[in-house]
Amino acid sequence: MAKQEEDRILRVWTPILLRTILIAAMVVLVTGLVLTYTYAPGYYVERYDAVRQGHLIGKETFGLLIDHIREGNPHAILTIGLFVLTLVPLARVAFCFLLFIRERDYAYVAFTAYVLAGLIVGVLVGSVG
Amino acid sequence: MLEILISLLALAVGAGFIGAISGLGGGVFIVPALVIFAHMPMQVAIGASLISVVATSAGASVAFVRDGWTNLRVAMVLECATVTGAVIGAYLAGVVPTIVLELLFAAMMLQSAYFTITKKGDDILTKGDPVAERLGLGGEVPDETGQLVHYEVTRVPEGGALMVVAGLMSGLLGIGSGALKVMAMDYIMHVPLKVSSATSNFMIGVTAGAGALVFLARGDVATTIAAPVAIGVTAGALAGSRVLAHLKVESLRIVFVIILLLIAAEMGWRAMSGI
Repeated sequence: MAKQEEDRILRVWTPILLRTILIAAMVVLVTGLVLTYTYAPGYYVERYDAVRQGHLIGKETFGLLIDHIREGNPHAILTIGLFVLTLVPLARVAFCFLLFIRERDYAYVAFTAYVLAGLIVGVLVGSVG
Repeated sequence: MLEILISLLALAVGAGFIGAISGLGGGVFIVPALVIFAHMPMQVAIGASLISVVATSAGASVAFVRDGWTNLRVAMVLECATVTGAVIGAYLAGVVPTIVLELLFAAMMLQSAYFTITKKGDDILTKGDPVAERLGLGGEVPDETGQLVHYEVTRVPEGGALMVVAGLMSGLLGIGSGALKVMAMDYIMHVPLKVSSATSNFMIGVTAGAGALVFLARGDVATTIAAPVAIGVTAGALAGSRVLAHLKVESLRIVFVIILLLIAAEMGWRAMSGI
């Protein structure tokens, strides 16, 4: 496929991908804030004051996050919203990577693979750091 | 809780709005706003800012990509450099003393102010360097008459080197480093200014995303702060981009420079006085 056709696919689908995930993340975040305000305003204020003093909750495993959602903890919904937001760049680069594989444009397969690997390394660095 | 939410949303909407109309991005303004007005620790402000920068980049990129202003290939090549810098920067942000972060932030504000004053016009190349031509980095941009003009790109390795620095600053300070990215593309690689701005905006999502993932995985993102800030900055940036078309931004340039210099002075003073 010609470079022009690759670029056309990217110009059509990239904005759709970006907008869809961004809207999804915003819906989750607003829902989480409304639920927090309704059901756990005291916990929010407590956490806000703690954060101001520099006390963060620290690492939270994905399993623990799911447990919090099952318990109906609205704060966990906010965390999910932030994770969905970070999917925006990951999904966009993964989409480009798959397109370039399909089109056998190996130089750009290498560039996008490197960026994807960098994003994954970021998660690993954060997990051990 | 409502008072806290309103104050955080107001700060974030303001930062997103000024970031959009100045072209410098919300991160440049939300970090100092959270540190100076909400009295948040620097690391908390950086984590919240990185997340919100991902959101504003995605929101602002949609129209630029659709309308063909973003050079997607230049972005994908240079993102290799910015991601490398961002992961290193975000890791260092967890170990570097706050005083160093504040001084670096002040320095970046001065660089942004310098860039805002010295933005230059397009210097379009018809012949790029062999690396850029092999990678098909050239593109088309409309001139003053609306005619499409082909441009080529040059000095990719040098531009990439500055992009590593831009990524490093983004991960360290929670900003998009848009001013550095545009300088690398416009000044060094001869990408037309508007294409540089649109491409920088697009790249910022991945750069900030890499830093945000390090912060999230480390447990350094305060959900309580980051969630309303992300919503507010995104809303402010959307409002700013709508107003932008009706504003004479050139006449506001001096206002942006004064704000940047005030932030630089405040952050520098905080670092020196150990607040």
